[in-house]
Amino acid sequence: MDASLSHALHEVLGKVVGFIYPNEIELQWSILIVLYPYITGLVAGAFILASLERVFNVAAVKPTYRLALLTALAFLIVAPLPLNLHLGHPERAFNILFTPNPSSAMAMFGFVYLWYLMAVLLLEVWLDYRKDIVGWSKSDPNPVKRFLYRIGSFGVDNVSPRSLEIDDKLGRAITLIGLPSAVLLHGYVGFIFGSIKANPWWSTPLMPVIFLFSAMASGIAAVLLLYMVTSALRRRPVSMDCLDTIGKYFLTALILAFSLEMLETLQKTYEAEEHFDILSLMVEGRLYVSMVLVQVVLGALTPMALLSWALALRPSEGVRKAFYAASAVLSLIGIFAMRWNVVMGGQLFSKSLRGFTTFKIELVGREGLLAAGVVLLLPFLILAVLLYFLPPWEPEGSPAGSKD
Amino acid sequence: MRTLSRRLFLKVSASAAATLALSKLSTALAWAEGFYREPPWKRKKPYWGFGVDIEKCIGCGRCADACKTENDVPREPFFFRTWVERYAVYKDGQVDVDSPNGGIDGYPALQDPSALAKSFFVPKLCNGCENSPCVQVCPVGATFKTEDGVVLVDKEYCIGCRYCIQACPYGTRYFHPVLKVADKCSMCYHRLKRGLDTACVEVCPTGARLCGDLSDPGSGISKFRENNKVQALKVHMGTEPKLVYKGMDKEVR
Amino acid sequence: MKDIRHLTHVLAAFVLVTGAFLVIRSLVKPHSYGELGRYRADAVDEIKALPFRYAGKAAQPRCGACHKEQFQAKKGSSHRNIGCETCHGALAAHAEKPAGPKPRKPAESEVVAFCLRCHAKDPSKPPRFPTVDPRGHNPDTPCASCHPPHAPKL
Repeated sequence: MDASLSHALHEVLGKVVGFIYPNEIELQWSILIVLYPYITGLVAGAFILASLERVFNVAAVKPTYRLALLTALAFLIVAPLPLNLHLGHPERAFNILFTPNPSSAMAMFGFVYLWYLMAVLLLEVWLDYRKDIVGWSKSDPNPVKRFLYRIGSFGVDNVSPRSLEIDDKLGRAITLIGLPSAVLLHGYVGFIFGSIKANPWWSTPLMPVIFLFSAMASGIAAVLLLYMVTSALRRRPVSMDCLDTIGKYFLTALILAFSLEMLETLQKTYEAEEHFDILSLMVEGRLYVSMVLVQVVLGALTPMALLSWALALRPSEGVRKAFYAASAVLSLIGIFAMRWNVVMGGQLFSKSLRGFTTFKIELVGREGLLAAGVVLLLPFLILAVLLYFLPPWEPEGSPAGSKD
Repeated sequence: MRTLSRRLFLKVSASAAATLALSKLSTALAWAEGFYREPPWKRKKPYWGFGVDIEKCIGCGRCADACKTENDVPREPFFFRTWVERYAVYKDGQVDVDSPNGGIDGYPALQDPSALAKSFFVPKLCNGCENSPCVQVCPVGATFKTEDGVVLVDKEYCIGCRYCIQACPYGTRYFHPVLKVADKCSMCYHRLKRGLDTACVEVCPTGARLCGDLSDPGSGISKFRENNKVQALKVHMGTEPKLVYKGMDKEVR
Repeated sequence: MKDIRHLTHVLAAFVLVTGAFLVIRSLVKPHSYGELGRYRADAVDEIKALPFRYAGKAAQPRCGACHKEQFQAKKGSSHRNIGCETCHGALAAHAEKPAGPKPRKPAESEVVAFCLRCHAKDPSKPPRFPTVDPRGHNPDTPCASCHPPHAPKL
């Protein structure tokens, strides 16, 4: 057996408080499994934001439509990576697709993921970009890029008005399917935790809904930030109308997520079942900083206050921008903390309800901090590549927001 | 004429629907009245079960030790297919539980035996859930319940996602640090199938453990369940364990 | 028709990918998967065939064939229901090949601790189980000098 693992476990053994089952000394799910719902949540949130524009014709958020789609795609491509890195036998990962166990929430991941990636997101991006791709396949000065665009056009350069009209209609239909798919994708991630009756910290029917609304908040925050950052990098003004509208959605998602979390806490406190003592000890102790301070105060209450201020009192544009950016950063941190508290909190207390273990995060290694950092950076690299090949903004000189 | 026929149609279909609904309801009620779920061992032979007599366990830890030898369980104190917990319930209501190295090396002396209300040992192992959460959540079918009721792990097929370890309410699964797959008590399936008892039962000096065929009314395990008041762990979870305990205290979880 | 050509191309690509997946799946899926349930039926046979280390109580007469004295002594004693392997360790290999791996016999120095693992006075043990306080009861004498382990007397 690996000596460093043995050493680490002996160290943890010394820090166990109370009684835990001997097999519980080793924490099964590491920081990578924290990243997984976080990244998937960003996908779902970004996509839902994009869909609002498409389905409900919210013109104000149009400048972020394509950016949100590409953000969702970049994070979706990375989503299975932390899961794979964490497997004991990554080479057997395809067993999930080849022989899925229908009673397993995890087995459905492959299918929900593929459906969402192949049938919804890629198709929607492609339909939206097709006219541009065909154009670029002819006009781009770089022959390699022209070749790639040709492949991307699936060998058809017909962009007749009729064909574009068909694309648009199909795109709308796919967005309509896409909305419930995004909800399914992330609701299902919540279900992975919420359906584990053995774990009272996880087991609640509210888990999928909480995950979903916090996912929306995090996805909206990410797109909001990316929009501000890319505009700044391109030295373009941001549309205040767009920011204010996204701010409204952002606040709504935050309020919903936070209310549901509090509802769940209230219910658990009031029912006070046999696991209540150990869970409240955990919140007051080992999870105090990451849950009460970071997740609730810093990551939910503060952005909610800032957003309410910006939206209700309408301070100057500069202040509003600063408030939006700060809220986005804070809630991205807060929602990461929420995923952390769910995944790690669920493993810190013993299922004997008599004690706590602790965790030790390695810096290096397949499940260490460095690997986690790479997993979290990767979507941004992919996004940069996507932005390079599929610039979401209108060409220089043409009026913003015009399509077709 | 047209309105009449439509009214007639509505009338006929409404009464048909009502009749159907009523008959459905009455069958549902009749079914509920006669509600009885037949245990699988009434139909399947053999069907394996396990019993522990807490009043006989002396906490010698031979079972946990023999299990590691028989099943190549790593010797480090973090991996157990079975272990023995010691409960110390004090007169002031305090409850201390420990299981240092699963009980294999014995237990430290209790702080204050004179303040003790009661103390006892509880061996733990796979609960052989009839409705096993680990089997339910395994994404690839690498953990499964055999035809004769034993939950096993296919170590050649497990992808090592550890979902089953999270799903087990009893903490009886661990991640094998060498094989990189989930591992758990197999009820010594390789021994049962050769007509032998499990390794832990073989070495238990006081007969506190027993395994056997639930489908055979004359078997030791059937008699054990029949003649004693037995209890299972965490029954409220609906896992329907086939591991039952005699003489279990409410503090045992 | 011309205006949906690009979509038919995408559809073709989808069908191709799905088809490839199904073909690969049929090639890779273990042949016994699903025979008995949603698992690899062969796994049951593989687990059944695992080697066993403990010969078990049923094999004890075979122990007695060589270790006659101990076997006879144990037969009528209060240790009669305890398997040889409880104290001497896993012996299937020894029973198979007596010249091979030898049974464990606790060393002189550890034999007291070995007996006490079961028989030390301990408030957690069942009250009727015979125990002794090792500090008050002949602390310097090996247990076996009064209580031969194969036929202990109180």
